[in-house]
Amino acid sequence: MPRKKASPAPRKGFIKTIVEVEGRTETRVVEIPAFEPTPWGPDTALETVGTRAVRVDAGEKVTGQAKYTADIARPGMLHAIILRSWVARGTLVSVDVDAARKIRGVIDVIGPGDAPAKTRLFPRKVTYAGQPIAAVCAESLHAVTAGIRALRAKIETAPFAATFEAATAPDAPLVRSKGNVAEGSPVVNARGNLARGLARADVVIEREYRTPVQLHSAIEPHGAVAEWQGDQLVVWESTQGIFRTREQLAEGLELPQSRVRVIKQYMGGGFGAKNGAGPHTFVAAIFARRTGRPVRCVNSRKAEQSDSGNRPATTQRVTIGAKRNGTLTAISLSADIPLGVGGWEGGPGQLYHELYACPNVRTEETFAYVNASAMQAFRAPGYAEGAFALEGAINALAAKLGMDPLALRRRNYAKTDPRKKRPWSGNALLECYEQAAARFGWDTRDSRRGPAASRAQVRRGFGMAAQIWPTGGGPPAYAHVRINADASIDLLTGTQDLGTGARTILSQVVADAMGARLSDVHTVIGDTGSLPYTGNSWGSMTTPSVAPAARMAAEDARRMLLDAAAPMLGVPLGKLETRNSTVCVRGTDRSMTFAEVTKELGDVMIIGRGTRGPNPLDVSVATFGAQFAEVEVDTRTGVVRVVRIVAAHDAGRILNPTLAESQLEGGIIQGLGYGMFEERVLDPATGLQLNPDLHDYRIPTIADTPVIDAFCVGQADAAANHTGARGLAEPPIIPTAPAIAAAVADAIGAELHEIPLTPWRVLAAAGEV
Amino acid sequence: MQPPMRLTVNGRAAEVSPEPGERLLTTVTERLHLTGTKFGCGHGECGACSVLVDGRLTYACLALTEACDGAAVTTVEGLATGETLAPLQRAFIAHDAAQCGYCTPGQLIAATRLLERNANPTENEIKVGMSGNLCRCGTYPKIITAIQAVARGEFAAPAR
Repeated sequence: MPRKKASPAPRKGFIKTIVEVEGRTETRVVEIPAFEPTPWGPDTALETVGTRAVRVDAGEKVTGQAKYTADIARPGMLHAIILRSWVARGTLVSVDVDAARKIRGVIDVIGPGDAPAKTRLFPRKVTYAGQPIAAVCAESLHAVTAGIRALRAKIETAPFAATFEAATAPDAPLVRSKGNVAEGSPVVNARGNLARGLARADVVIEREYRTPVQLHSAIEPHGAVAEWQGDQLVVWESTQGIFRTREQLAEGLELPQSRVRVIKQYMGGGFGAKNGAGPHTFVAAIFARRTGRPVRCVNSRKAEQSDSGNRPATTQRVTIGAKRNGTLTAISLSADIPLGVGGWEGGPGQLYHELYACPNVRTEETFAYVNASAMQAFRAPGYAEGAFALEGAINALAAKLGMDPLALRRRNYAKTDPRKKRPWSGNALLECYEQAAARFGWDTRDSRRGPAASRAQVRRGFGMAAQIWPTGGGPPAYAHVRINADASIDLLTGTQDLGTGARTILSQVVADAMGARLSDVHTVIGDTGSLPYTGNSWGSMTTPSVAPAARMAAEDARRMLLDAAAPMLGVPLGKLETRNSTVCVRGTDRSMTFAEVTKELGDVMIIGRGTRGPNPLDVSVATFGAQFAEVEVDTRTGVVRVVRIVAAHDAGRILNPTLAESQLEGGIIQGLGYGMFEERVLDPATGLQLNPDLHDYRIPTIADTPVIDAFCVGQADAAANHTGARGLAEPPIIPTAPAIAAAVADAIGAELHEIPLTPWRVLAAAGEV
Repeated sequence: MQPPMRLTVNGRAAEVSPEPGERLLTTVTERLHLTGTKFGCGHGECGACSVLVDGRLTYACLALTEACDGAAVTTVEGLATGETLAPLQRAFIAHDAAQCGYCTPGQLIAATRLLERNANPTENEIKVGMSGNLCRCGTYPKIITAIQAVARGEFAAPAR
């Protein structure tokens, strides 16, 4: 007799929920899952989750077998290159393609008017240096390079405004026809009464900070391979969002989404710059349609460094008021942010409202369009910029009050979310402070202050900074778990692994939810053609969004497996449990392996379905952390060496500590680059970028790597979602630069107000130049 | 078209007819379909295309294929012996020294050369020897750990 108790209907209905993406709050309609698995709390014993399981795709990566977008070669494939503007503003008068077309191997050339209108490719109006103006495709890289050199384009130049000051000056050249100040600017957010807060302060400090344009600089440039298969466009793309790329391709090329398939198995880094279809994607797709052949278009390094997104610069004027005992009474920010020709308002302001319990906070952010490549989200957009200034000002306040910067932060710890006025789902920031300070030796730092013998000009300094980042994730995210006839298990979900380890942690979650061996679980991701939807891998959202869906799908499949196994074992369902890919009868030694059950089932396939449920509305979900830096400053040359970083972060349950530590180290090293070297430089006379490469735009090398002691504290956060895990990818970049700047200030006895901390800035701050 | 020239790639003879001025990176990836070697910059700035040419650490994006006539080239695909991974490959897996994995083939080639020249490098020697290979994910601490583990002989015996 078949059992009556089948799996329940997949959903109960629909509801509105709130999701925070990259600091922005969005309301979404989502389905209520049919069942919500029992939360994995701090005391839940798990077998695979929480272990240092080896990255499941590491073998492919160390053997060169992992196929990245540029490694995809299709029969008859053509190569495409984009010609880009060499002026910052003007009008594209003509593109002469005759000479290019005559080059042996050149197949096709496209320019203004050749791309579908909705792709917005190749406009006549040039608004920044690096803007695509035409493209060539050819039989080989050799021929396409020759073809691009033979293109003759004429641009009539016009005055440009590449800085915030120039773009907001009276009679500035128009970057956008609607005006250079972004609609809605200045963006003002306030709580309490700033004037009253300042009036109550015993001490007030005012500072101005500047942060540079930082470039994502993924080692794999953006790229796409496009091929028409019948009436379907198949695109291999290095992307953080296969479904968003599909949506944008379908919209730009006016195709139904079902006729576009986007595939991404491996990508060489994203960091926020690879969130959808770009000019290279459309160029590959358009050429593929025109020629009937597959086309690959990969950015050159110059294109990658000059037009693939960036973290925008900021100028932040900060005023902080405090009582003599350190209690904050007022925080004020006035910020200018030049976005480039486009982008979104991911400003530094929100952090000011969240990190400390201060009753009176006001932020005012003005976003302006300038004649430079558009910004894109870059790991903790807004917050990394904001932390340099806010944490710099907090450190300056501590010095003025004669207080320990750590004690000042502890005093102003926000027990509840001061912006949304509700509890945290979990918050171990105090534990972060305590454990990182202990491992760093913060309290005994003065004993290590003396200069190294024989290097009297080298001074040692110590500094710290804190971090918050909203990391709740949220719906929609879907997963299917199917049990194959041989009892191997597939997790199917349309997410992406950027190198974060998503494949690995999702397999771990499924293994625990099923009671299966990790080696029996195979996670399939990165293909819109066959997988259920999940959103972009941005905003540290993948783990808290997809892991719950994967867990639910696995539990759904497990229920069905038990439904099948119960009559085979002749016991009621309630007596069964699963472990090690075996169904066991509790309290006996009777059992059946999953494979024995599926063998009985023949080709009946068990398919479990999981969805990410709505977010809790009564708590705020965020990841916290504190970092401590030790530096050596050569006071004669201004050269700073970062000696050591100690970092403690709280992201709820850690699904895999090794992968978490890799994320922390990666964020810290990028934060070190932001603080120490990285700065896009535009020529004020021409608007051209002077360092569109990896030589003059310097990212950290292995030789710059300090000793890093990075670890996670805290415990499973069952209030955030039923896996207890929050996001972790972005937070570690936030406090690194301000911690280093504080350490340098400590070493030289003078504050630093601008990054990167180049030798001349350090010397200037020290009064040596 | 040039007359074909000979390379020995990962121990196997290969005949190629490169375009004038063709770089070894293009030859290896586009002609020989060994895509483990990666394009990152094309200007010798990032090290993603590192290969060994007659044992020397070489940026394949800067090497003219024609200048490699008769040379022995080792790419990441040539590091393993059959199914058995090289100690460095196993150490990179065990110590999580690959995040996105894109720079990893170049890192492994550079580390292979480093350990050939200096079987027991100090941390500083590792930093100097590996500083021509950029990683944006930030695997540097794990790369140092992995190389040190191999130098100590921890991965000498192939794992089952």
